[in-house]
Amino acid sequence: MHPAIQGLVTIIFGVGGCVGYFYFSNIVLDKVLFPARGVHAGRNINRANLVRPWLFLFPALAALSLYLAYPVVETLRLSLTDRKLDGAFVGFANYSQMFSEEKFWEALSNNFLWLLVVPAMSTIFGLLVAQLTDRIKWGALAKSLIFMPMAISMVGASVIWKLVYDARPEGADQIGILNAVYIFFGGDTPQTWLTMPFWNNFFLMAVLIWIQTGFAMVILSAALRGVPEETVEAAIVDGANPFQIFFKIKMPQIMTTVVVVWTTITITVLKVFDIVFAMTNGQWETQVLANYMYDKLFRASDWGVGSAAAMIIMLMVSPILVWNVRNARKEMR
Amino acid sequence: MDNIAGQKSSLTWAVHISVVVLVVLWLLPTVGLLVSSFRSADQIATTGWWKSLFPQEQNLVIRTERPDAQEFIDGVYVLEGNLFELGDAADGVVSVWGTSSREIDAYSAGETADLGDKGLLTIQANGDYRFENQSEFSGSRGQRVFMTAVSPPSFSLDNYRNVLFSNSSSSSMGKAFINTLTVSIPATIIPILIAAFAAYALAWMDFPGRALLVAFVVGLLVVPLQLALIPLLKLHLGVGIGKGYLGVWLAHTGFGLPLAIYLLRNYMVGLPKDIIENARVDGATEFQIFVKIILPLSFPALASFAIFQFLWTWNDLLVALVFLIDSSGDTTVMTRQIIELLGSKGGNWEILATAAFISITVPLIVFFAMQKYLVRGLLAGSVK
Amino acid sequence: MKKSLWTGAALAAIVAGSVSAQDLSGETITVFGTWLTPESDVIESIFDVFEEQTGATVKYVGSDSFEQQIIIDAEAGSAANISIFPQPGLAADLASRGFLTPLKEGTAEWVAENYAAGQSWVDLATFADQDGNENLYGMFFRVDLKSLVWYSPENFEDAGYEVPETMEDLKALNDQIVADGGTPWCLGLGSGAATGWPATDWVEDLLLRTQTPDVYDGWVSNEIKFDDPRIVAAIEEFGAFALNDDYVAGGAGAVASTDFRDSPKGLFASPPQCYMHRQASFIPAFFPEGTQVGEDADFFYFPSYADKELGNPVLGAGTLLAITNPSEGAQALVEFMRDPAAHEIWMEAGGFLTPHKGVDTSKFSSDSERAMNEILLNATTFRFDGSDLMPGGVGAGSFWTGMVDYAGGKDAGEVATGIQSSWDSLK
Repeated sequence: MHPAIQGLVTIIFGVGGCVGYFYFSNIVLDKVLFPARGVHAGRNINRANLVRPWLFLFPALAALSLYLAYPVVETLRLSLTDRKLDGAFVGFANYSQMFSEEKFWEALSNNFLWLLVVPAMSTIFGLLVAQLTDRIKWGALAKSLIFMPMAISMVGASVIWKLVYDARPEGADQIGILNAVYIFFGGDTPQTWLTMPFWNNFFLMAVLIWIQTGFAMVILSAALRGVPEETVEAAIVDGANPFQIFFKIKMPQIMTTVVVVWTTITITVLKVFDIVFAMTNGQWETQVLANYMYDKLFRASDWGVGSAAAMIIMLMVSPILVWNVRNARKEMR
Repeated sequence: MDNIAGQKSSLTWAVHISVVVLVVLWLLPTVGLLVSSFRSADQIATTGWWKSLFPQEQNLVIRTERPDAQEFIDGVYVLEGNLFELGDAADGVVSVWGTSSREIDAYSAGETADLGDKGLLTIQANGDYRFENQSEFSGSRGQRVFMTAVSPPSFSLDNYRNVLFSNSSSSSMGKAFINTLTVSIPATIIPILIAAFAAYALAWMDFPGRALLVAFVVGLLVVPLQLALIPLLKLHLGVGIGKGYLGVWLAHTGFGLPLAIYLLRNYMVGLPKDIIENARVDGATEFQIFVKIILPLSFPALASFAIFQFLWTWNDLLVALVFLIDSSGDTTVMTRQIIELLGSKGGNWEILATAAFISITVPLIVFFAMQKYLVRGLLAGSVK
Repeated sequence: MKKSLWTGAALAAIVAGSVSAQDLSGETITVFGTWLTPESDVIESIFDVFEEQTGATVKYVGSDSFEQQIIIDAEAGSAANISIFPQPGLAADLASRGFLTPLKEGTAEWVAENYAAGQSWVDLATFADQDGNENLYGMFFRVDLKSLVWYSPENFEDAGYEVPETMEDLKALNDQIVADGGTPWCLGLGSGAATGWPATDWVEDLLLRTQTPDVYDGWVSNEIKFDDPRIVAAIEEFGAFALNDDYVAGGAGAVASTDFRDSPKGLFASPPQCYMHRQASFIPAFFPEGTQVGEDADFFYFPSYADKELGNPVLGAGTLLAITNPSEGAQALVEFMRDPAAHEIWMEAGGFLTPHKGVDTSKFSSDSERAMNEILLNATTFRFDGSDLMPGGVGAGSFWTGMVDYAGGKDAGEVATGIQSSWDSLK
């Protein structure tokens, strides 16, 4: 069978199967197991409502546990064992080895820098674009253009930015636009941007901000449009200026979405390694945890330390986790 | 009133200008790539892409014709022709030239250089040359000429031809295109469907442990993909799925679910409470509420996630390599095809640039198509 | 069918040893490697011959992320029958985890006999398995020569320079070029995720030119520590070239970030940005379009010191075939690759050197490749690229990054100590 037809059949079966599952399991629940009739009608409705969420959740939870939770458990196990000793339990030896490595601390501190800068800048730019393009005629076009980097793979993006940051020897024609601009404005010698310690981190971050702004923009502009017109109109009648409307009326209403966008980008930052891998491979003090982990797993084939690095990455997300749980609790009240 | 109107228009101007600035900033790197995709590798490596839009001064190294093309005219051996044609370069205007790498500007256009026993060489501004000698030219190669010339912009579609129609890849690129769609479409639709139900349960159904489940989902967002690959491939091989489409669909579904659930749940929580409660009071079942009310209202969120998931599966190489492409090499995807074209040592800017633009077209079409739905969904929402 | 059987028989007669054209009809052999276009086309045309001889089907897949994928596939149990490893270190690592199958008995003897410096090729592909037993796991196929300096003969002629015969001459030439207002070297260490590797070749070449081969071997196996003064001296020797602003195009600061694929282009620029470029035999692929090796560009042997009496050491590297998923066909295919015809197909396609003594050297696509192969076969000392032999964490990790740090101005001793400590931490 041709894969495309196979694909089509799968879509039909997959989608049909999912819809069928949800539809029939609900019928079974309502009509067969706990029918809302007879003497126990009230009790049955309550019972059905206790079970129903799990029906809705089951496929997702099954997939999540299998595809993501199970590897996490496996990783935890690997991080506490040494495969060179036939997988013997070594306690925290991998962790202490990792903590003794200079590169790890470099990666950790760079990661904090990334976490500070990238989600903030992407969200701010995304919000700015979403708000500014909201009422102008060519807004849709502007949005599409800003969204474009999202459609480029990370590796493609790295290529684009390598071209931007390229440096040629002094006197030669520059092919990197950043150096061309720098020289045009009176810079003396071409700079090799990616090898400037500390600042090169920001040049790498620019790539991710460039990509993620499109993401933030799409989600936030949907949220902004969801803000009821009446509240804005009321504010205009009250004589509020555009800035007040934005900060006092709109922002509070889209705050949860801002949190979601922030969270998602933060997590992307923790996981992203393609950019660093393709542009500097963590050299010149640009190492980040995800690339450090990759290096340990596939270059040094040190699964213990690689897994330990992964656990650290996952640990770093816990403050965000707590924040989101609190948010979710608040919404439920 | 006038005052307010004036203020308003200056503000509108500020808005327009700042959007233009942002768009230009965001577009600049991509435009660079786009322009580069119409240039040859050597052009990309020697001059900035922004200069290629204007006539530019270039230093060229071109050889005259080989000695076996010489003619014997009026007692002298002559080689004649046009250097721009010989060098496959766009026509230009020569200002200065030379024959030694030490002195590339020894002569002006129109001057004749005496190269001793090698002969007399004259080069005109339009690139025409005449090389004459009393004795026969010998050797296997023409004379090297260094020219400084102003050339008009020159672009070509060669790179696109190369990527799309080169003999080794023409059929496979088409096949890869279909394969990629075969991977992407189910891998986009299935997770959305599953996630939508789960998100509804997490947003609007009351049960113990709900907040913890939300945290569970967010926590799983951060699991690095690289860790999941080996255990899951083992699992797939173990249960007999092996490497193939089913495996890659399942994998993309699993990896895409946390973000889908998280985004959709957040959106659904924000839907007006009274609609749902009214429906419940009217006796609608949860399933009906979900299908008839929640799904249509969530269209913008569904559409935006669909875009992201589609982009991710479209641009993915890693998951495809691990779960789809087996060692028989019968299945391939666009990203792999591009890597293949880049060659063993990589670094071919012109192919990378071209490939990036070819692979970006479909996601962009999807985005434009979906953008319409984004708006329609919003209108439906505002009618409520 | 008859014809192919006949060809098989004829080939069997030609080949030393015993290649018998087995009937493998219906069997599929999968091969996984790093070669992509255009190399993948060449290797496939070699496999075509095998298919014709045996009736088997060979499927080749190339990947740019070989090192990652081979580990995933081997761990999960879905590796190809044959994997073509770009360096022995990775293969040794997989062998030690029990993922490789030893080659057929007699292969070691065959390689020792038929390859130039045969025993060293055997030793390079002999690894310990998970129980510590040593076996021959790989057969080298396609070799790169590293000790080459590329230059433009016409530019040398214009300036009146001679090809240096000794390291002393080369160093004198450096200063002469500078005195004439030129720049001797184009040098770039950039290579994306592998940034730094070109410098490791320099250090290895210079170590072989300043110390005996024993020191080199000891260094590769870490019996001689990385921060040994002799090794540090070799690093500093490299620094004498790379850290001198006058010697390298763009100045020392540009060395680390210039892409190695872009760096040779300076040889052909107008005016030339440099006069020499030290790089392996594959580099002509990155010369500007239309450059003809032997005419526009040529090479000379990276010379050794006249006064050190260490002979003419040669540094090389190579890819090796190993069986990652055993089958009858896989063994047969590896055996087929002993056939000179298999080597000659690629020799004709160009960009291929081989230590196989039985090949017809008239098949080389150019005189320059024949000359390179000559250097390879006549080396008084041949040593394999050390960084490929070191454990991945060093040879494809801290050695690379360390050299980048060194090019960035860090002290050689400090860098060497850092690399040694990363080696120690590998246990």
